[in-house]
Formats: sequence, structure tokens, C-alpha cells
Amino acid sequence: MFEATNELGNLVLSTGGTLTDPNAAAALAVGLAALGAGYAERGIGSAAVGAMAEDDDLFVNGLILTVLPETIVILALVVVFIVG
Amino acid sequence: MSAAGSSNPEYVVARVRARRGSLYGDEEYRKLTRMGPAEIARFMEESTYGAEINALGSRHGGVDLIEYALNRNLAEQFDAILDWSEGSLYDLIARYLRKFDAWNVKTVIRGAYTDADQSAVEVDLIRAGEFDDRRIRRLLEADSIDAVIEVLEDTIYGEPLREAYAEYEETDVLVPLENAVDRAFYERLLSGLGGDEPTRQYETFLKAEVDFRNATNALRLARSGADIDPAAYFIEGGDLFTRSSLARLAQNLDELVEFIGDSQYGDELGPALRELEEADSLIAFEHAIDGALLAYGDRLGTIHPVSVTPVISYILAKERETENIRAIARGKEAGLSPDEIESELVIT
Repeated sequence: MFEATNELGNLVLSTGGTLTDPNAAAALAVGLAALGAGYAERGIGSAAVGAMAEDDDLFVNGLILTVLPETIVILALVVVFIVG
Repeated sequence: MSAAGSSNPEYVVARVRARRGSLYGDEEYRKLTRMGPAEIARFMEESTYGAEINALGSRHGGVDLIEYALNRNLAEQFDAILDWSEGSLYDLIARYLRKFDAWNVKTVIRGAYTDADQSAVEVDLIRAGEFDDRRIRRLLEADSIDAVIEVLEDTIYGEPLREAYAEYEETDVLVPLENAVDRAFYERLLSGLGGDEPTRQYETFLKAEVDFRNATNALRLARSGADIDPAAYFIEGGDLFTRSSLARLAQNLDELVEFIGDSQYGDELGPALRELEEADSLIAFEHAIDGALLAYGDRLGTIHPVSVTPVISYILAKERETENIRAIARGKEAGLSPDEIESELVIT
């Protein structure tokens, strides 16, 4: 893990500030937002499945709550359009 | 499932909260106190206890049916919780549920002591702890206390029981063995708890339970005036008492009541203590202690919504429910009036 990070750092330095390129930064922003959304959905999803196991009627509510964090990714996509 | 890996409080808490919604409320209890045993069984059949009532209905009847259905339902629900939980969550829940193992061990020992029928012992077991069916079967098949201890050799109860067995052989009373089981359970309960905030709150709750247990024991001893060494009944781990302070306070009821009133539990137990002084009734005090624990458990479950605390809060509420229903059924059997039964219930 650490070696890989080191290598990535070296690569970034040697190619000369890749991250200052607006497109790359926007891509990173979307990626991080997706990661955050995924982490949020992990907890909500397992809670939703638990609730559904007890009561089938909760399926729709559970589904909606589970995908709510996806909005973060959609908002992050706006950055791509602004930059690009 | 096991104590390995990361824990999954979200899943367990969601399921437990859904089940909590189906516990009986004030309205149901009021209805139940006005029913006879057969009607109570019918009422339970239409709620969460349906499967158990149907399974046991052909073999038992009346209050026994209710009692066994309650035990079995309790065991199934708690087993399910242990099944769902993983990682550190499993460890924290199993700690508390091991008290049913302790209960089962004591029941089996009592059964062996009185030469009770195997099936008679079996229906009194609550299979909610960590012992699997195989060990329970072997426990039931053991026909002497020595054999019971042998089956438990590789558990936490093995060694303390072995030590207490010598004392039992001398005196032929079960108290040393039962104390050994209790102590093994409580020692394990509080050892090596983790350090995050919800776990600390859980620890506070467990300590309160130990304190209350010590307080009731001391009150009973002080009231009965029996010549028993209070230190022998002392359970380690609480904040309130030490072995010597308990031994001293158990000699004098007034001092003990004052001591509990001045402690950190004074606010919750104050009214019950005053009642104890006036009416001289331990039952009310014990109900107040149960009520205080339950209220504490309720509060516990809302402060950290995604942690072990809501699960423990549910376990407490469920235990309380089965005890309440049992009290109603037994009260009905004994011919008590609805009002008298209601005073026996602990509802928050």
C-alpha cells in the first residue's frame, strides 16, 4: 500500500503536476464523492436489508434511503461540466 | 455469527428496532390482565409468539404452555440476535446473554441435585446463551453434579465449579456451586471491555446491574436477619459496594437504605427507598430497581443509535415483557384481581 502511494507520488512529481490539470482534478473530485457515497450506502444498505427482513413492506422505503447518497455523486458531476 | 471480523451494528440495530415495535404496550397489558390463561395463550398466538404456542400447544396447556412458549421465544429471539451480529458487537452481546448459560447450568445442577426428570429440567432451560445444543444435551444426560461439572470442564464455569465442589461435598448445600457459577459469569462480564463511548455506556449499565444485584442481596440479608456471611454473596465489578462495606451495611437496614439513597442511584431509587421504609415491602423496591434498569436501558438505546446499546436495550425490554406476561399468567392462576396483577408489572 505504502509502496504504491510512493510510486504514485513519484509519478505525479516526474510528469510535472498532473493534479494541477483541471480535468484530472475534476475526475478526482467525482471519484472521491463516489467513494463517500459508497461508504454511506454501506451502513444504510445493511440497515435497510435488516429492516426489510423484519417487514417486507419496508422495501420501497429502504431502497429510496439506500440510494439517497447517490445524489452526492450527481452533484460532484456538476464539477465536471463546470471545468470541462 | 462469530467474534472475528468487523462488526455490523447497522443491520442488527435495524432488525432489533423493528422487533421492538412489536413488543406489548400499555394497552395490551391492560387487556391481558383481564383475560384467563386460555385467552392469554390465544392472544399470544396471534402475536409474535404464534409459532411457539402452536409448537407446544399439543403437549402443554394453561399457564405451563404460556411459560414454556415465553422461554422458547426468548431463546429464539436472542439466538437470532447472536446469529446476526459479527465482530466486537457479537462479543458485547454474548457477554450479557451468557447469563442464560449461567441460568441453565444452575437449573441442571438443581435438577441433578433433586434427581428431577430429564424432560422436567429441559423445559426450564432457556437456550439463549452460547452453549450449543450438543452441550445442552450432554448436560441433560449428566445424572450427577460431578458429571455436570465434567461436561463444563472446558468452559469458564469448569474450574470455579470444580473448586466449589469440594465445599459442596462437605456441606451438601448448593449455595457454593451457584455462587461459583454467578461469579464466573460476572467476572467475564466486565473483563476487557473496549474503550469507545458506547461501550463505556454499556459498561456503566452493567456496573449498575451488578450494584443493584448487590443492593438487593444486602437488603434481603439485612431484612431477614439471617446469620449468613454477606461477603459470600458479594459480586465483584460494581462501583457502589466493596466486599467489606457490603458486609458492614448488611448488618444494619437503616444504614444500608441511607447509603443507597446517598449514592449515584439515589435519584432513581429514592421513592422506592422511602416506600421500603414506610411499607416495609421488598417487592416494591425490587420492582423499582427493575424499572430503573429498564428506564436506563431505554435512555441508553437513544444516545448512540448505531452501536451495541440499542440491542441491549431491546434485550432488556424483551426480558421484561416475558416476565410481565409470566406474572400476569401466574397471577391469574392464583386468582389475583386485575389491579393486584397490574401492581406486579414493570412497565415504562
